[in-house]
Amino acid sequence: MSRDQILSKLQSRKRPFPHISPPTAHHPMTPLSSEADELIARFIQEAEALAAVVHQPEDEPAAVDTILNLIGNDTSILAWDWSHVPLPSLPTELEARNIRIAPHDDAAVRVGITGVNGALAATGSLVMVSGNGRYRTTSLLPPVHIAIMTTDQISPNLESWLENQRAETPDLFKNASNIVIISGASRTADIAMELILGMHGPGELHIILL
Amino acid sequence: MHVKSNQFIKLSQIAVTDEQMKTAVSTGTQTAYNNRIAAMRETSAAHGEMMRQQAAAIKRSALNHLPELLEKTETNMQANGIHVLWAADAAEARQHVLAIAQQHNVKKVTKSKSMVTEEIALNDALEAAGIETIETDLGEYILQLNQEPPSHIVTPVIHKSKESIRDIFEAQLEMPPTNDAREMAHFARQKLREAFLSSDMGITGGNFLVAETGSLGLVTNEGNARMVTSLPPVHVAIVGIEKIVPTMADYATLTQMISRSATGQKLAVYTHLINGPRREHEPDGSEHVYVVLVDNGRSNIYLSDYTEALACIRCGACLNACPVYKVTGGHTYGWVYPGPIGAIVTPLLTGLENASPLPYASSLCGDCKQVCPVDIDIPRMLLDLRHDLVQSGQQPRMWQWGMKAWAFGNTSPGRFQLGGKVAAKVTNKLSLNHLPGPLSGWTNYRTTPSFAPKSFRELWQEREDNNES
Repeated sequence: MSRDQILSKLQSRKRPFPHISPPTAHHPMTPLSSEADELIARFIQEAEALAAVVHQPEDEPAAVDTILNLIGNDTSILAWDWSHVPLPSLPTELEARNIRIAPHDDAAVRVGITGVNGALAATGSLVMVSGNGRYRTTSLLPPVHIAIMTTDQISPNLESWLENQRAETPDLFKNASNIVIISGASRTADIAMELILGMHGPGELHIILL
Repeated sequence: MHVKSNQFIKLSQIAVTDEQMKTAVSTGTQTAYNNRIAAMRETSAAHGEMMRQQAAAIKRSALNHLPELLEKTETNMQANGIHVLWAADAAEARQHVLAIAQQHNVKKVTKSKSMVTEEIALNDALEAAGIETIETDLGEYILQLNQEPPSHIVTPVIHKSKESIRDIFEAQLEMPPTNDAREMAHFARQKLREAFLSSDMGITGGNFLVAETGSLGLVTNEGNARMVTSLPPVHVAIVGIEKIVPTMADYATLTQMISRSATGQKLAVYTHLINGPRREHEPDGSEHVYVVLVDNGRSNIYLSDYTEALACIRCGACLNACPVYKVTGGHTYGWVYPGPIGAIVTPLLTGLENASPLPYASSLCGDCKQVCPVDIDIPRMLLDLRHDLVQSGQQPRMWQWGMKAWAFGNTSPGRFQLGGKVAAKVTNKLSLNHLPGPLSGWTNYRTTPSFAPKSFRELWQEREDNNES
């Protein structure tokens, strides 16, 4: 069997690199203080550098207005189940304007609204964990992605977010089939190094920071 | 893919006359090279170097435990519901994929970019079985339409101008004429979206396999890997056995290293971890996930003195740094992997006899080692491969004879001095710039300096004689 063949072949030599130990403590790629104001400022700075538009509405009604403006005249959107989106007044406002939530795999819809499961200041990233009511396609199919989040969801960096998960949700990798870290709008530079946004994923990323 | 590496010299002689290619490749690589430096110095140059050494230690200690880590990865992946298959060689890997396709009645495949699938010649096998196979990375899509191989590990169409891409889209896809890159990309997006939504199976490679959790790590900027791993019901990942990293903490270092080293991005736009098929409570995602672990010569490298080559995370930084690659482009290397790392793994994976010029495709400037995120000593291995070539007796007779003569002349002070005297006299009479026959190999690319009237030893001897008198 190839498996046994391969493994016994690998086991047949003296171990390579015996004098190199694995790191006992991993230095983070970008060490950052966890001071809240600094985290928020850094998160916004990094996200904007990646062509994300960061909105900081002063209250919930302002947030709803921003989102309704982005939806414009569209009559349907994609969205996560509202229990995962930290803007409780949004569903009623959408209903009042007859904006319906399309089936999660409708590829003709222009705008997708999600919450987030975390954010990373060092890289301006959003973390999405798959699960009940958190469709993968909402942040992937529509050309416009609106991510609604709160400032307390921001971790300094990937390393600290993973550390927290290890403590809080040790079964994360068993329970969720997919974890995606989104850093900016979809892009390509394959055509003569010219930067083009929106290759397959959303070309417009709006972050509503509450 | 057929190995053409023995034609490297001829291919590069032709390539260096292609001004458009050289401009495209040197501009593209320079941009990536500069962006990498900026990203690695984000916190400070010292911190960047420390992280590089951390990544180097992670990969080497992973290789130290490779057999156990492979078993652990397999166990944890299976616990997550992933089917794990092993392939000793390219043929077996192709067989696995075809069997899975048959089992699931697959008619159409969408692929995200994967060098190992080039290595095992997967697309041809799928097409031969009547399965429509569509590359979805924009660069790979362009190459597929034009039936040519990638020329760079990360930016596969770095060698092409915008105009030539436009021509391909117009000819193959009937794109309405435009010189606007954005319009071209959006045209491709529409075509590929139809493919994503109607395909039966998604195929990816794998940037990392995390043993601790049984996860597959992928990175893209376009979003195509998310598409092919979420929309079709079946996902197959083809991954070399050397891609294992022990823990999530290791993954965090390496996934940030690969994006910085490849393009200067702090993280790729879509950095994702696949932990298995969709869970019961999840509304979407693939229903079946397969990982095919590919050997195809990697275990041979593991057993050799070149184990270090398996630390490679396929970031392409060495290509971007290489003065040879910059001028010849990637196709001249004659196989899947070009540039400095290609010059090593091509002979190691396909046989020295199939790629004997490649260890010489280097000035040994050493920049590849400096930029490598895991500090692979490429120059050392290039030299060792040259040594292996000589030992194997594969060098041409005349070269071997010439080198023996050179060694003979230079290993005694008397012969060395005599040789010098003769050469000095000869250069006064004849130009040494164009030596005949096999010696032209030396002089074709070098200008012989003129010899001084007296050698250093003669001057020194004269000085000694004057001092004594």
